[in-house]
Amino acid sequence: MNKLTRMVAAARRGAARLLPAGRRDWAAAVWAEAHEVPPGLTRLAWRAGGVWMLAREGLPRRIGRVVLFAAAAAAAAWAAWPDSSASVATPVDRVDVITMVALLAGLPLLARPFLGPAGSRTARFVRVGTWAALLALIPAEVALRQFRGTPPGAGIDLRLYLLIAPPGHPKQQAAEILILVIMALYVTAILWVTSRRARIAPATLAVGTGAGIAFGLVMYTVAPLGLSKEATNPWLPGSDSDPLVLLAWLLVFFGPVAAAVVADRRYTASSGSSRPVRARVGQMMAAGLLTSMVGALFVTVLGSGTTAVMVKAAWLRDWLYHGSHLLYGVQNLSVDLKTLPAIAYSHELTGSADQGALFVMCLFFPLIALLVTPCVAGIRCDDAAAGRGDQRPGGGGPPGPDPAPDPPAGGRPSVTDDDAGQLAGLAGLADLHEPGPDGEQDGLVTTLADAAV
Amino acid sequence: MPVSARSGFSAQTLSVLAALCAQPSQWCHGYELAKQTGLKSGTLYPILIRLADRGLVEACWQDEPQPGRPRRHLYRLTAAGLASATEALAGPAAEPVAVRAGNRSAGAGARTASAGRDTVAGVVQ
Repeated sequence: MNKLTRMVAAARRGAARLLPAGRRDWAAAVWAEAHEVPPGLTRLAWRAGGVWMLAREGLPRRIGRVVLFAAAAAAAAWAAWPDSSASVATPVDRVDVITMVALLAGLPLLARPFLGPAGSRTARFVRVGTWAALLALIPAEVALRQFRGTPPGAGIDLRLYLLIAPPGHPKQQAAEILILVIMALYVTAILWVTSRRARIAPATLAVGTGAGIAFGLVMYTVAPLGLSKEATNPWLPGSDSDPLVLLAWLLVFFGPVAAAVVADRRYTASSGSSRPVRARVGQMMAAGLLTSMVGALFVTVLGSGTTAVMVKAAWLRDWLYHGSHLLYGVQNLSVDLKTLPAIAYSHELTGSADQGALFVMCLFFPLIALLVTPCVAGIRCDDAAAGRGDQRPGGGGPPGPDPAPDPPAGGRPSVTDDDAGQLAGLAGLADLHEPGPDGEQDGLVTTLADAAV
Repeated sequence: MPVSARSGFSAQTLSVLAALCAQPSQWCHGYELAKQTGLKSGTLYPILIRLADRGLVEACWQDEPQPGRPRRHLYRLTAAGLASATEALAGPAAEPVAVRAGNRSAGAGARTASAGRDTVAGVVQ
């Protein structure tokens, strides 16, 4: 019996280390209470129940997440890992796969001591979605680089005519490093925005993510085969004045603005404009930034995936390239080269080259959001201050001082469940909405607000 | 785990709430709760954790432990917990549902919940 008790105790000590800090008291509580239980089988059963509780509370959370990520990363790496010696892209691709998986696994571990864990369930959803998108991007990107790096089996190497530099070429190396840097910045930014320290309200995250997905869908509809000077959707005429193209342009600038306004309305819904200005500005900037980042990542992943499938599936290529405006890749070729295989190869090369331009969106969309969102944040906060000034007895006069900040503990967000529809619901994110942290703003909110106010 | 359609609490959770409701101002020990509800430690403590996470139960460590024994963890309902428990135990839908035949712990939980309803009814009256 003593041996059994010692084994259970050892299992308890091991399992307790896996628990989050806030749960370890409970492990100690079960164990302390065991001294009140009659010795023998009853006490052993009590302790065994404690070990079971530890397993339920600790293992599924941490180990489950680690196992899930490891499985997804292994699947992505297995699908992406290049084994072709015919492609000059193979060394680049191997480095890319290893670096991306290392970024996704390592950055959260590095950031956790500084940023803390995910701030809410919505934040965890955003993180999981981002990680899944980036893992899905790895095999798509590798497939396209492999394609660009492999000379055609027969016929003329059109890469020379189309001025497409193969992966690993000195001209391409800077771009490939830049893409990895952009991805690292995305991972870091998502970790920051969704962290407990940033204190971004769950409704703000839901609004930003929902708007970003809607924005990304519009962009993908316009450019499903990468970014070029014309829409790459074969069902569009390719005109710059196409309504969908115009909508996409509008969303580039006003999507983050709209998300910021909606997020601010939700944030101030219950308390009017009594929220601290810095907190409001931070929430608006987070919503705008998230919209642009999610939108750019969404179209990049979907566009890269579509193009990667296209270079492997002839039916998809022929279906996608029925649009006459998509034939620009072969327009300058001589007549004798316009045989069917050459045209098909040209389409595939053009698509794989245009896919790389999707990362331009990943770079510039967040920058645009960081430029336009502070403007709308300033306008809204000024309006609120002016509104408060107007409401003072006697009217006129300068606006009153900012209200006192919210109590730091026990506060709940000014977000109602009714708010969860609208934009979040548009992207099917309504279930992500939940009440979340509030009160004093620090971290990202303060940093963003300092930059804007 | 069967859940009361009205309150959203499972039968086991209702029994824990009922046990805590019996003397709302008193701190209870885990083993005492286990005896009252008939729940095993592996079931009782996760329930207490969830209730504490939702702000319905507060927990603290005993100030003065008995000599030679570790300090014990104590539990009682918060004001919000008392209100929730009152609401959950007062309605007819609070009957622990789908109690497995021969399940001794669930049976004890049902008895505790019934006793808790009586207490709540007394408080309400």
